[in-house]
Amino acid sequence: MTIVAQAILNGIMTGMLIAIPALGLTAIFAVLRYVNFAIGAYATVGAFAAWYVNTRFGLGVFPAALVAFVAGGVVGLIAEQTALARLRPSGALAVAIASIAVNLILENVIRFIFGNDLQGFDLPIARDWRFAGLRFGPQQLQTATLAIVIMAVVFLFLRFTRFGKAMRAVADNPDLGRLFGMDPARIAMITVVLGAGLAGVGGVLLGLDTAIDPMTGSRLLLSIFAAAVLGGLGSIPGAVLGAVMIGVGEELAVLVLPATYRSAVGFATILLILSLRPAGILGERNT
Amino acid sequence: MLKAEGLVAGYGAAEEILKGAWIDVEAGEIVTIIGPNGAGKSTLLKAIAGLVPLKGGTVKMNGADVTRQDALGRSKAGLAFVMQEKNVFGTMSVAENLDIASFGNSSGMAARREAIYARYPVLAEKRKAMARTLSGGQRQLLAMGMGLMTEPKLLLLDEPTAGLSPKAAEELFMAIIELNQSGLPVLMVEQHALEALEISTRGYVIVTGRNAATGGGKELAADPEVRRLFLGG
Repeated sequence: MTIVAQAILNGIMTGMLIAIPALGLTAIFAVLRYVNFAIGAYATVGAFAAWYVNTRFGLGVFPAALVAFVAGGVVGLIAEQTALARLRPSGALAVAIASIAVNLILENVIRFIFGNDLQGFDLPIARDWRFAGLRFGPQQLQTATLAIVIMAVVFLFLRFTRFGKAMRAVADNPDLGRLFGMDPARIAMITVVLGAGLAGVGGVLLGLDTAIDPMTGSRLLLSIFAAAVLGGLGSIPGAVLGAVMIGVGEELAVLVLPATYRSAVGFATILLILSLRPAGILGERNT
Repeated sequence: MLKAEGLVAGYGAAEEILKGAWIDVEAGEIVTIIGPNGAGKSTLLKAIAGLVPLKGGTVKMNGADVTRQDALGRSKAGLAFVMQEKNVFGTMSVAENLDIASFGNSSGMAARREAIYARYPVLAEKRKAMARTLSGGQRQLLAMGMGLMTEPKLLLLDEPTAGLSPKAAEELFMAIIELNQSGLPVLMVEQHALEALEISTRGYVIVTGRNAATGGGKELAADPEVRRLFLGG
């Protein structure tokens, strides 16, 4: 029983971390209408940027996460402007495939600069807490808190700020948005910065727990994609819900299956949910 | 107040849809554009709103030439265009739709929003509802409300009663009359030609991109040629 409870707890924790890049993926999809697989590499870029300022300059988790957001956002914007945006006239599929190429290129640029080794963050070692037989680390609490704060900021931004509302409006109906003075192209670029930046922060949060290497983001890509699809691509609350479900599903699966099958959970869940509900759990579009 | 002359426009390389059409709207009027399908009525309205590029002609608002202005520029000059369909943000609440309509000019937004709630209590009731859950008539009121948020001097309506039940269409015509009586001139394109002409000060008949006839609303509605065109008899 305790083992299951522990798995669920761990799953919720991992899910909240996957939720951050999943939010980025789904936001970019909502406004630009393509799936950006380079989000994996943006997560790695964020993780390495944060690791660099953490180990070189001794920056703590919060400022390092901020650096990761900026690094992910800037790299995402450059990739969008130089490669992806130019392919948009060829359709969403062409852009999505190009984003896989961007993912590979960025991954190898990181490998070229930082090498293939595992890199660990320089963080104080702390003893895990125990409560009712469950283990819980102070580091987990910190990353979970940060994840919740970030999600809250994203929700509040989209719900209450003038610009957040404009972003949702353009995602809903760009032509109508233009009529009221919004610039869909500019809003799309800001969405890319926000989405790629969130991926960068997600990379750090997920890397803090273990260690990072140039493949960190690519390994997470399936879980991130599964989370966004599961919740309904383009749905912000859906991405969070989907991420937690994927996190818990993966942890529970590992109890009965060898750990190598962990990533199969993502595929299996996508297959199952989308057979029942093609638009995803909170998906609103009938496309 | 609106003077559009010699408008020539079309999409892409195809033959022009507008071939020199003209429209005047004076202060306080309701003016309706009618014509057979494909005559270019909607294109005419969009050309005035700046949504279709003009190849010829001029658009003047209160004497100021806005021909070179884009849709946003014309909105700032006082033209509010309400599209025929997809004219609200379905995934956003009624209140958010009204707020976002003042994206270009958000000062005094709350007061404008309250004024629209006072005018259309049904929108106030549904302020938290998603726009896509509204009925056809309510959605059209919201779309008009969004136009009003830009504080227009002239409201352009593209087939406002399209797809509405006869009762909802009648209510919407009432709402248009009320709006006009509060001092806002209206220029609209309507499929329900005779009903629309009944409430109009003047009407224009457009056929194949040119002005075919013009006159008072009731006068046109009684014209045997117009009746033959629109009642098929």
